[in-house]
Amino acid sequence: MSIYLDNSATTKPLPEVARLVYETLSGEESYGNPGSLHRLGVLAEKDLNASSEKIAKLLSCKKEELYFTSCGSESVNTSILGYVHQNPRAGKKIISTRTEHKASLESLEKLAKEGYEICYIPVDESGKPDLDALSEAIDDNTALLTFTHVNNETGAILPLAEIIEIRNKKNRNTKIHLDCVQSLGKLPIALSRMGIDMASFSGHKIHALKGFGLLYIKTGVRVAPLILGGGQQRGMRSGTQSAYLASAFALALEKATENIEENLSTMQALRDGFAAELTALGTQVLSPSDALPYVLNVSFPSFQSETMLHCLEEKDIFVSTVSACSSKTKKVSYVLTEMGIRREIAANAVRFSFSRFNTKEELDRTVEAIKEIYERYKV
Amino acid sequence: MSNSYRTIILARMGEIALKGLNRGKFERQLIDNLRWRLKEYGAFSIVQSQSRIWIEPKDVNPDILEDKETANNVLRAVTQVFGLVSASLVWKFDGDMEAIKEHAVMLTNEILAEHDYKTFKVESKRGDKRFPLASPEICCDVGEAILIAHPELTVDVHEPDFTIFVEVRENRFVYSEKLEGHRGLPVGTAGKGMLLLSGGIDSPVAGYMMASRGMQLEAIYFHSYPYTSERALEKVKDLARIVSQYSGTILLHVCNFTDIQLDLYKNSPQDMLTITMRRIMFEIAEELANKQGCKCLITGESLGQVASQTIEAIQITNEVVKTMPVFRPLIGLDKEETCNISRRIGAFETSILPYEDCCTVFVAKHPKTHPQKKHIVEAEEKLDIPALVKKGVEGIETYKIERVSNN
Repeated sequence: MSIYLDNSATTKPLPEVARLVYETLSGEESYGNPGSLHRLGVLAEKDLNASSEKIAKLLSCKKEELYFTSCGSESVNTSILGYVHQNPRAGKKIISTRTEHKASLESLEKLAKEGYEICYIPVDESGKPDLDALSEAIDDNTALLTFTHVNNETGAILPLAEIIEIRNKKNRNTKIHLDCVQSLGKLPIALSRMGIDMASFSGHKIHALKGFGLLYIKTGVRVAPLILGGGQQRGMRSGTQSAYLASAFALALEKATENIEENLSTMQALRDGFAAELTALGTQVLSPSDALPYVLNVSFPSFQSETMLHCLEEKDIFVSTVSACSSKTKKVSYVLTEMGIRREIAANAVRFSFSRFNTKEELDRTVEAIKEIYERYKV
Repeated sequence: MSNSYRTIILARMGEIALKGLNRGKFERQLIDNLRWRLKEYGAFSIVQSQSRIWIEPKDVNPDILEDKETANNVLRAVTQVFGLVSASLVWKFDGDMEAIKEHAVMLTNEILAEHDYKTFKVESKRGDKRFPLASPEICCDVGEAILIAHPELTVDVHEPDFTIFVEVRENRFVYSEKLEGHRGLPVGTAGKGMLLLSGGIDSPVAGYMMASRGMQLEAIYFHSYPYTSERALEKVKDLARIVSQYSGTILLHVCNFTDIQLDLYKNSPQDMLTITMRRIMFEIAEELANKQGCKCLITGESLGQVASQTIEAIQITNEVVKTMPVFRPLIGLDKEETCNISRRIGAFETSILPYEDCCTVFVAKHPKTHPQKKHIVEAEEKLDIPALVKKGVEGIETYKIERVSNN
């Protein structure tokens, strides 16, 4: 049996999800366009509404604040570009960090080309943004803050409460977008109580399906749509909605939320044990100690990232690396270097990312595999 | 409505026409290669007449070239067969001067629908001397007909935007554009060579160049999984497939090189690593070449391009090959020239994908650029070379690589 430790890249759909999708797609009357006026349309619309309601309840928001998109990146793009474009008088300055996902960074680059001032505040060695710098940066001209709730490469958790407090003190009109793609289903999320204005989510990271993203926009926040067309979803996101993707998401979210706290503490113990074993083997843990336990980034001395990835792959263990090694261009994770990690260390970084379904036995086998790899391939 | 003509292809031979007594052998090979290359598109009659080859759909599939896209694909495939300087799509029909004029005007209409041309000329050949008009008269009449149909055009016999060719033989023919061929000699007329194929830009070009001299190809790739990825191997297969469009089927031998590389890394000095590695690769390739009936090795080396391609380094790797020549068709080419050929044969975009030489662990930081005999003796002191070579040859897996269908 293979061991899948790349859950921040994507996850295996739940069997319940697969079943639900199969049943919906093979049903006699369950494929309708929710916009159609006949019965099939009504059925699909009902289905969609039920999913919206369920998701809204699970995320503590109103269902009118949720929009279904095609992926996390679309949600992020829509939030950042859509808010700034819709609110030209909100200011010309946007604050973020350089450790965001590319979906944010590329959106910000686009805005920079349009003449917006993008202020990237530095992060410390634990991946957290410098709060003093943030406080200094927020001014009357600041339209938007955009941050990642949990970093996809290191698991670093954003000090959200402090950031909200600073925002409230410096400029209450400044809006906050939170990229929750990696935190969803792993950390409790209650949108109405978090103090944020927009948030982005993805389906396939929580054992639902690829092709589904979620966008939260707080009531009263105005955002320009990215996709124009038939005016679906109150004009915010055109395009025929997929009822089965939405219900798959709702189901997966429900399952993820059921024992979220318990899963978190179980994972913390697993992660700590695994990290200790790896440390004993001489590897360096790069994830901060207070990071989300579902992500563990480590650097293997004398193994370049991709080599270790393939060594593990040979043993049917699947992990991830950002640093792609090539003799010509050496690409190293910008997230790690921004945290002050040396390039040589970052070049050997491997990300293990877990799901609540990973077991201690799997992690033990991974440790054994790494020992064997050291034995055979260390040069 | 069916056409009043049938579209066929006229291809022109290059260098073969200069051959002496063995010309027939080259021509037969060329026709065989064309038949093989066009198999996927349908059945064709391929007839040679002097330095030209007429390719005509057989009666089982008379209209396959009437579809423009298919016709262009077949035409391109024809030009990829080595031994041809150019090829054209030709309309074949019967009839008198009126029919010729009518078809020439139709062809002009088609050309002008796609191009913003202003000037033209007409050229003609009269093979059938029974035809009442001589070539210059045919040109004049056809030119006049085109001018009447398109008064906006003018004749320019020196530098026309396009030329209408008319031929009068047993049938009548009109055509205009010529697509350049890849020239060279038909593959299969110059034995077989073993190409050392990496995932880079150079080696596929080297293979293409030797194939263009009539050489059949086999290839060997040294795979260092897990130090390189499965994608690197897939990329090499893709490159072999691209070269096989020109060279015909390639047997790709994949040598599992990981253990050998680890052994070298542990038992020979860092700065000589690339050289010792290349010497072993050459030895493995030579042994395999002999086994497969290949008469030479082919590499993409270019003098001075990297540390292992200085004259000293080349000399010291070359000396391990005892039974056959090592051909290096790129030796005098500039990188830019090689890249241009790579682009022309459609390999460049694949070559620059990033999976090649994935691991830098085995690349010395400061390789010796001017290695001497004594360095290599020292470097190989602790290595059991024959055993390593044997291991390499034994661990080979072979794949048959065939060109991708263009359909």
